[in-house]
Amino acid sequence: MNNKTTITIAFLAIMAFLPLLADSAWLSIGITFLVFAVVAFSQDIILGRAGVFNMGHAIFFGIGAYTTAILNVHFGLEIIYTIPFAIIFSAIIAVLLAGPIIHLKGDYFLVATIGFNIIFEQVLSNDIFGLTGGPNGIFGIDVIRIFGYELFSDTAIYYIAFGLLIITLFIIRNLDNSKYGRALYYINKDEIAAKSMGINVPYYKLFAFALGASIAGVAGSVFAIQYSAVSPESFNFMQSVMFFAIVLVGGSASLPGVIIGTFVMFVLPELFTEFKESRYLIFGAAMVLTMILRPNGVWPVTFGNIPKFLRPKKGAK
Amino acid sequence: METFIQQLINGLTVGSLYALVALGYTMVYGVMKLINFAHGDLVAFSAYVGLTIFTQFYGSNALTLVNIVIVFSLTSIVVAFMGVLLERLAYRPLRTAPRLSAVVSALGASLVIQNGIMLIWGPNMEIFPSDIFPSTTWNFGGVLISYTQFVILALSAFLMVSLYLFINKTKIGTAIRATAIDQDAAKLMGINVNRIVMIIFIVGSMLGAIGGLFIGVYYRGLTFDMGWMYGLNAFIAAIIGGIGSIPGAMLGGLLLGLFNAMISGYISTEWAETFTFILLIIILIVRPAGLLGHNVAEKV
Amino acid sequence: MEYVLEIKNVSKFFSGLVAIDDLTINVKPGQIYGIIGPNGAGKTTLFNCVTGIYAPEKGSIKYKGKDITGMPPHKIAQMGVLRTFQNIRLFKEMSVAENIMAGYHTKSKQKWYHSIIHNSFYKKDELESWKKVEELMNFFDLSDLATTPTGDLSYGKQRKVEMARALAASPELLILDEPAAGLNENETIELTKIIKSISEMNIGIMMIEHDMDMVMNLTDYITVINFGKEISQGVPSFVQDDPRVIEAYIGSDDENDKEDANGK
Repeated sequence: MNNKTTITIAFLAIMAFLPLLADSAWLSIGITFLVFAVVAFSQDIILGRAGVFNMGHAIFFGIGAYTTAILNVHFGLEIIYTIPFAIIFSAIIAVLLAGPIIHLKGDYFLVATIGFNIIFEQVLSNDIFGLTGGPNGIFGIDVIRIFGYELFSDTAIYYIAFGLLIITLFIIRNLDNSKYGRALYYINKDEIAAKSMGINVPYYKLFAFALGASIAGVAGSVFAIQYSAVSPESFNFMQSVMFFAIVLVGGSASLPGVIIGTFVMFVLPELFTEFKESRYLIFGAAMVLTMILRPNGVWPVTFGNIPKFLRPKKGAK
Repeated sequence: METFIQQLINGLTVGSLYALVALGYTMVYGVMKLINFAHGDLVAFSAYVGLTIFTQFYGSNALTLVNIVIVFSLTSIVVAFMGVLLERLAYRPLRTAPRLSAVVSALGASLVIQNGIMLIWGPNMEIFPSDIFPSTTWNFGGVLISYTQFVILALSAFLMVSLYLFINKTKIGTAIRATAIDQDAAKLMGINVNRIVMIIFIVGSMLGAIGGLFIGVYYRGLTFDMGWMYGLNAFIAAIIGGIGSIPGAMLGGLLLGLFNAMISGYISTEWAETFTFILLIIILIVRPAGLLGHNVAEKV
Repeated sequence: MEYVLEIKNVSKFFSGLVAIDDLTINVKPGQIYGIIGPNGAGKTTLFNCVTGIYAPEKGSIKYKGKDITGMPPHKIAQMGVLRTFQNIRLFKEMSVAENIMAGYHTKSKQKWYHSIIHNSFYKKDELESWKKVEELMNFFDLSDLATTPTGDLSYGKQRKVEMARALAASPELLILDEPAAGLNENETIELTKIIKSISEMNIGIMMIEHDMDMVMNLTDYITVINFGKEISQGVPSFVQDDPRVIEAYIGSDDENDKEDANGK
């Protein structure tokens, strides 16, 4: 068992037993942490792995949340059946938005995604087609029912979010050990070398977008379930900046890195409410300081993820 | 027709503000290849500093020209100092780091300044006095130009011409252009790159400071997070003109100002930002190097 | 099929300046074809045209009889034209084995859903892929370095990894841009042997090289270019004594080094 597996299992074990120890305030912080961690991991597929400067990730989180809210409140669909729509819509919109600009270089792409996020905010706030509910959003979202059971307790929602995190980690592990996942790293490290090896760069970047967006979409659904309401400011540009920063401050493509990043950005402020006012000031300073001291993030990724039979025997060299 | 000319004047005024701010973005990008996300917040900071000096030292009595010049100069100096400090603390240590690290640092610096403003001046809107410039308005056959608009247009034009001459006709300007083209070669030619970067931050911040003061005088309402929106608009202006190009930033600013005015005047104010960003995305797709920028082939 | 690569009257311009001018070159399978010429002659530009990084303005490029002019690089690579780079473009933070695996990308049959769910097909394909990497690491004597990040390797080792990566794609045309640059004498000798044995696999090889001893005893045929134009063509012994070639080399001024000024 290597280091990474140990850390993952230890982390999951702690998270699995948390509800037994926590009161309801802690539980709701726990849910927030899990949901945001999933979004951060999904951003890590796009930004950390494919290396695409996506500064509009809150859009996909928001599309999932609003899909669930709209289908449930306006169309009376059971929550559980809204989730496949959340996945598909997020993926489709990701490809539609990123497709025309996927060839743009780093900073240009980044600015275009900022643009998308601001347009998205405006679409939500202007109550488009009377569906998004304007600045106040949509409330009165149903509780989730699975096989006739109503899962409304915080503990139930906690375990739904926890299940989603496990699935996300499982997908990411599988991704990292596959042709597609490796292609993303190659593109990230050297795009010209990657295409000279026969890698269709825009195709794989869009794949990363679709996968990352669909995971963020599900997280959005869970977010809507948790609060039984959605509103535009949860998906604004500032949130995208946060998801962007989490990945890079923690360490791109690094599991502990993203966990640390999410914890620092979303959980710490809940614990130190007396600092709430200066929360962003402290974040900002922490972002600058981390980048100066550790330009690759607090816990950078290590490569060398290859099968055992290829590893040199100890003492051979 | 009058409405059109009126929107044209309004658009040019707003466009001059964008252009002044855009110059800061484009100069930094030209030399450092970095989006200085904190620039917009420096602009906001300047408006607050200006407001404080106005109210502290002059009360609400009518201001004399000398007083106004003093306020503008003082504010520019304070903001220029902040700009240099920003570069020293948040950017210089990352000059050789991966690109994204510098982007995150820039975002962090932006948050620090923005929330610093909030902690100092509070989260509520501050209002600029209305009588900084005389309330004279000229009427040209139904088209109105206020004294404030006139000052903004005239001073912006003056500053832009001065900057153009500074960049193109002076030795330092030549050094700046050389550094923008090739930092290593510039270094070999004996150019002190650190000094050039400092000059860029001083000049860019000062222009941004004037832009910020004009925003205060023209729009009057200040919020601590307004830097983001003005900054983004100015940055879009820089991209439209061609990021890295100084005439491009001026042209982009004016065009974006006109575009905004026409959209707000004739189509919709609710969707104004959406139209701006759609314009940006179209430009990025059709001509990513902008109107006056050059496409650089990738080296292999 | 007589030629694996047919370059016919190809020209490339950069903002009006001619970088390569009406070049015609034919490479046979299993042939080692040398491209030489002073710095700035347009050699790398030619390679960039063949591999699709640049699209030439004039002329045509055919690979195995199929027109590939102006095709995107990944398509050309998928067809079997693979390359190395003058300034070495490895995925520096990644291990030797992972780098070589990049070359196998076009051979792996995994679909998008195999990145989410690992079934038995995935397992078979993944094992085959890594076996190929193992084979190449043995061939290039890199097995001991499988997990080492390529950025930590010596120049000579990096060049070998780059070649192994290209070979992993089972190319029929291998394009080497200054493979011996920065190598010491022993490494150059080793490399010469490796290139020879690759050509024996019936792979066409096109290489730019400044090490004249290596070029003269390794290549089967040479084109000499200067200022983008062909100045001589023939077997090494012919080219070596061609007065036009000698003049071009002596007359060339290395400080007016266009290519390097453009390159990294």
